[in-house]
Amino acid sequence: MKARRDVFQAIADPTRRAIINMIASQPHNVNTIAEKFDVTRQAISLHLQILIDCGLVAVKQQGRDRICEAKLQQLSEVSGWIDQYRQHWESKLDAMEQYIEQLKKEKYGKQE
Amino acid sequence: MENRNSSTADKELLLTRTLNAPVELVWEVWSKPEHIAKWWGPTGFTNTISVMDFQPGGKWTLVMHGPDGTDYPNESTFVEVVPNKRIVYEHTSYPHIIATIDFEDRGEQTGLTWHMLFDSREDFIAVAQKYQAKKGQKENVDKLEAYLTGIK
Repeated sequence: MKARRDVFQAIADPTRRAIINMIASQPHNVNTIAEKFDVTRQAISLHLQILIDCGLVAVKQQGRDRICEAKLQQLSEVSGWIDQYRQHWESKLDAMEQYIEQLKKEKYGKQE
Repeated sequence: MENRNSSTADKELLLTRTLNAPVELVWEVWSKPEHIAKWWGPTGFTNTISVMDFQPGGKWTLVMHGPDGTDYPNESTFVEVVPNKRIVYEHTSYPHIIATIDFEDRGEQTGLTWHMLFDSREDFIAVAQKYQAKKGQKENVDKLEAYLTGIK
């Protein structure tokens, strides 16, 4: 039994993000991925395993090749957090805009 | 080190807005604590600004008071203050952020750009996730409250 891993853990590491970027446009086999990175094969295997456990990568056997494919639906969870967080700051700007409108009325009110 | 380039794209938040007010008024709203306290929010919060030394190197202490009585202290240091043009502050309490607010004079309007740079992608996501978790919690409490009100 493995501990449940989450997407956040999957993309918290720069190498794993680079792997996802690499295979996002096109599936690659494990060897090709390992060659692209300046870390040991074992390290790449471990990263891939974490990505698989999180459901971000699927592996299928094609003859002698193990092909890794990105499953990006899961990432929408993260972009959802970021959207919400952005909304939090946007609402500050909304409040500021309203406050400015109020100030304008007060200023113009005094002039006339 | 603090170059704004594509390498920072995954750890920054960029907000832009066009405001129907001259730059002097927008600047005033940003540069005086009595104004900032009125809009800094979030909704339902009040703010106390005990220190606002509005000059490069000056400290800025803003405490947000949540509706449930929780206080959220925010400590920052102003890095750049260029009247009607630019404010840069470093948020020194968690999360560490370098924020740059640019003001663009467009006559009766002002273009505002608010750029927030986090230390790392990890940090940015962690903060967003934490915010989401908190919001989720709050929504649950709201739902519970609505439910309890409903059965009274």
